[in-house]
Amino acid sequence: MTVDARRRPGVERGLAITAIVGGALAVVAGAPTRATRGNIDVSELARIVEHEEDHITAVELAKWIRDDKTGLRVMDIRSDTEFTDFHIPGATRVPLAEIARMRLDSAATYVLYSEGGTHAAQGWFLMRARGVRNVFFLRGGLYEWVEQIMNPHVASNTPQAQRDSIRALTMWFGGKMEVVDSTTTPSVLDRELSAPHSAATAESIRKIRRRAC
Amino acid sequence: MMAPFYELGRFGDSTGLVIAVLLGIAFGWFLEQGGMGNARKLSGQFYLTDLSVLKLMFSAILTAMLGLFWLSWAGLLDLSRVYVPETFVAPQLVGGLVFGVGFVVGGLCPGTSCVAAATGRRDGFALIAGMLAGVFVFGEAFPVIGGFANSTARGAWTLPQALGLSHGTVVGIIVAAALGAFAGAEWLERRAERPARSTRVGV
Repeated sequence: MTVDARRRPGVERGLAITAIVGGALAVVAGAPTRATRGNIDVSELARIVEHEEDHITAVELAKWIRDDKTGLRVMDIRSDTEFTDFHIPGATRVPLAEIARMRLDSAATYVLYSEGGTHAAQGWFLMRARGVRNVFFLRGGLYEWVEQIMNPHVASNTPQAQRDSIRALTMWFGGKMEVVDSTTTPSVLDRELSAPHSAATAESIRKIRRRAC
Repeated sequence: MMAPFYELGRFGDSTGLVIAVLLGIAFGWFLEQGGMGNARKLSGQFYLTDLSVLKLMFSAILTAMLGLFWLSWAGLLDLSRVYVPETFVAPQLVGGLVFGVGFVVGGLCPGTSCVAAATGRRDGFALIAGMLAGVFVFGEAFPVIGGFANSTARGAWTLPQALGLSHGTVVGIIVAAALGAFAGAEWLERRAERPARSTRVGV
């Protein structure tokens, strides 16, 4: 055949080997992108969310931090400037995009928080998609933290033992509890911040609180 | 072929058309060089005597597939911007059958009929006329067959989705299938060549 004269067995063998190597490596690589892909069990997550096992309250988180819970990793997913302004003690700043790349510790308990709670809840899904089981988000975000831990307002008719426990927790974090007349409800905006904070911190907390309302 | 540059706005419509013409000429040139403008060579495919088309198509598929996979993997190409034609299962099966019959009878496909016509082969012109007539008849008959032509739509349906396998696994399977097909085609061609020597005189 005329075609045979033009054939180059060496080239053909080289191309075949290239195809075999390329194909075999593709099987190993799996996806044509190096994006992080996660798997979620939709019904399991729905159950967890429905049973409210996905989030924790500010008081629960405060107790975990105070009691030095083993493996606790508090992640602040807000911007760098917001983090520098104010953050929960012991938290590290982890941008949402970083969740795709971060090295995970199966023994750790992760708690995500954002300003309100929406971003942290979305981050929670990303963490679940990466296979992390011990992950929670702060339900009300930093707003809740400021109102429940840094500057709680306790009604005057609250039992003494409960008041003491709230005060102890607040003081541990350098906040200040205020006792308010149980008959009136003061406006959140009008409240002054307690002394232990620096002026800048007080201002940023005030900013956060203002945005909350 | 120029899709990513065109889509990213690196050049406009007129430049795109110029590039399309140049690519088209190059495409035709290489098809002719490969003997693909010859209806006898192409129909050899269906008599299992010359499987050049099969080898050519599989070579093109492997080159494009491995290229797309690894360029995407390297982050140089966004696969989501590559156009995937939509699948309509039943009409495309019927259309494929009609196409196949035409290919066997005429010995050329739409692209190679243009190549054949460009080199002055009369069967090439006949097939182009047939192709245009087919387009016309299809367009005129669309009110009647439109329902069927749009049935069993699956959207942009890819093999990984259809088979539930990863892209990489599908790539591996197709590479294996292609290499198997190359070996099989060579074997068939060698087998066809031997008795051909004795019968050629009679033909």
